[in-house]
Parts: sequence; structure tokens; C-alpha cells
Amino acid sequence: MPGKSRYLIITIVSSFMLMGCYELKHVTEFTETSIEALQSYETLPQSFNQICKEDCQLKHVAKFNIHSTQCDCSPEVKADSITNIIYSTSLEYLNGLLAVSDKQLAKYQTADLTTTLSTGNYGSLKLNENDVKAYSTLSSLLLRTFSGINQRKKIKSYVIDGYQPFQQLLTFLELNVHGNIYGKLEVQKQSIKNFYFDHVNNKNLSTYERTKFAEDYFNALNNIEAQQKELDVFSEILLEIKAGHTLLYEHVEGLKNDEVKSGLARLGSRLSLAVRIISNLN
Amino acid sequence: MANLTSEQVKQLADDLLHMTNAVGDYRYENFDNLTEDENSELKELHNQLLGQTTELYTKSALLVMNDVDESLNAIRTITEKTQNLYKNLGVVQKAIDWAARILGMASAIISLDTDNIASSIKNLLT
Repeated sequence: MPGKSRYLIITIVSSFMLMGCYELKHVTEFTETSIEALQSYETLPQSFNQICKEDCQLKHVAKFNIHSTQCDCSPEVKADSITNIIYSTSLEYLNGLLAVSDKQLAKYQTADLTTTLSTGNYGSLKLNENDVKAYSTLSSLLLRTFSGINQRKKIKSYVIDGYQPFQQLLTFLELNVHGNIYGKLEVQKQSIKNFYFDHVNNKNLSTYERTKFAEDYFNALNNIEAQQKELDVFSEILLEIKAGHTLLYEHVEGLKNDEVKSGLARLGSRLSLAVRIISNLN
Repeated sequence: MANLTSEQVKQLADDLLHMTNAVGDYRYENFDNLTEDENSELKELHNQLLGQTTELYTKSALLVMNDVDESLNAIRTITEKTQNLYKNLGVVQKAIDWAARILGMASAIISLDTDNIASSIKNLLT
């Protein structure tokens, strides 16, 4: 009988533990969806450097030049590096949130992350804290969280401490991707028109040649607009993730509330839809 | 004049793009009436402005600076003025002159030299 009692106690305790996990399942699920959606960044069709190279090539094409076509895109390379760091730090924050919201993931592998964050080794780029003020706060939070023993108890402080810097990082990411890369594509559209306009209107060319130039122009325009559409969807993803995190922050004392559950479910389904749209656009 | 934030530089790039588009649209709409030299000059100015604008978007990605609402408002005024001007412009030389003045302001913005930005804005507002 003592054996049966022990079995019963273990069963009851396990049930409570599972219930505890289940009660924050909506946070875990939303975070998983956020991670998947944020990772769409890696499949985005454009970067600062790529646009710089394309613009440079168009200038050489306009001059009928294919020799000595070097382009100085070093500022764009740095812009990409900063944007990549903002993205990867935001992603790591979400991975941390996933770990503290789900006991099953408490053994989250953080060795590589902690090494990177503590050494400040980001390859060729030396990050200026003035460029991304939120970065150092967030990386400190990640280090603190993963150096602890019981992550599950830390979800409250994790969300509170991470709220401001995480929102800032996503704002910067949105600015660079949907503001600046999108803007550079707008400029590229105008440069292409500037180039094709004179050829399409050149009455010394044959009708066939002028028509071909017009077709080429519209093909190039459609290609850029398809890329901009992806950036639009990615921007929506960032807004949904920010909204979800704000919901967690504002209800941090009652994460098991129905309002939080339904809010995260709604935002999660929007994120899933956005991920499907981006996949279809690729 | 205080320093510029990355958001403000992005806003400046947006405004500069609108001004640049007005220059381009003027060329496209008046193409049949322009001499070859006038067309080439406007085309080149337009190209240079596009180059400055895309550079400014990159600068925005690299920079975080302090607030400077005053210059943003002034730039917005200039943007509206430029768009209206090119809609109603009759003399080609004026179109070329105005594009060249915008180019001067764009160069000042690119250099992020706030004193030069202020003086070039003043030059456009007078």
C-alpha cells in the first residue's frame, strides 16, 4: 500500500506541474509563433548592400560600361551589420522568453549566446551603444536570466525588464527594414524610370526596341514592388510581436487571464498568416 | 541647430525623395518641349538627387542623434513648395535652378553639417 500511496502522490504532483505548464501554454505558443515570424527577416529579398550594388550596376549600364565597375558599399555593409545585430538580439530575447515560459525548454542551450554577448565579438563590426541603446540593456538581461537556476520563476522580471529595450529594438528594426531599405527601393524605382524613359521615348529607335525597353521597365518595376510587398508584411509582423509583448507587459501579474489568452491567440493567428504570406511571396 | 536622430534623417530622406520625384516628373511631362541639353541637365540633376536620397536612407540606418523638429518642419515646407512649384512651372531655367538649389541642400544634409543645412534651407525659403 505505501507503494500505491507514493504512486498516487507522484501522480497528483505531476498533474499540478503539468497544469502549471499548461496554464502558460498560450505564452509559449505565442512566443514560438513570434520566433518563427521574426525569422522571416532571414528570407527578406533585399539588404542595404544588395541595393547599393544594384544601383551601382545601373549607373554602369547607363554609361555602357562593364569595365572597372567597383562600387563603394561600405556604409551599406555597416548598415546591414547593425540591422542584423538588432534582429539577432531580438530573436535571442524571444528565445529566452520561450525558455522561461516553458519548463520543458529550461535546458535551452545558451553557451554560444552568452559567449557572444559577454565577449562583444560581432565579427568585423564594433557596435556603438549610441547606435542601438537598447542593445546593452537587453544583452545584460539575457545574461542574467540564463545565469539563473529556475528560469520559470523569472518570467515576470524578464518581461518587465525586457519590455522597453525589446520594443526599442523592434522599432529600430522596423525603421531600418521598412523605413530605410523600403525607401532605398523607392529611389531605385525612380532611378530605373530615369534610365528607361529616354530609351522608350527615343524616336530614333525602332518600335520593337522602344516596346522592349518599356517591357523591361515594367518587369523591373514589378520585381521591386514584389520586394516591397514582403517588407510590408514583415513590418506587420513586427507590429504584432510588439503588441503581443505589450499585452504580456500590461498583464504581467495575471498572465493566465482569459484576456491575455484570447489576445495572444488573435495576434498569434495574424502572425501565422503573415508567415504564410511571406512564404508564398518568396 | 541640434543634431538629427535616425528617424529624422529617414524623414528627411522621404522629403528629399518627394522633391526629387517632382524634378523627375517635370522632365517626363515636358520631355517634348525640352532641348536635348535641357533634358540632359535635368536628367543628370535628377540622377544626382536620387543618389543623395538613397545615401541618406543609409545614413539614417547608421545614425541616432538628438531632436531637431525645427528643421524638419522647414524641410516639410520646402517639400510642399517644391511639389507645387513643379506643378505650375512655365520656364525651364527656373526648373533647372530650383533643382540645383535642392541639390545643394541635399549635399548639406548628406554631410550632416547642421550649419550648412540651416543656411541651405534659408536659401530655399527666401
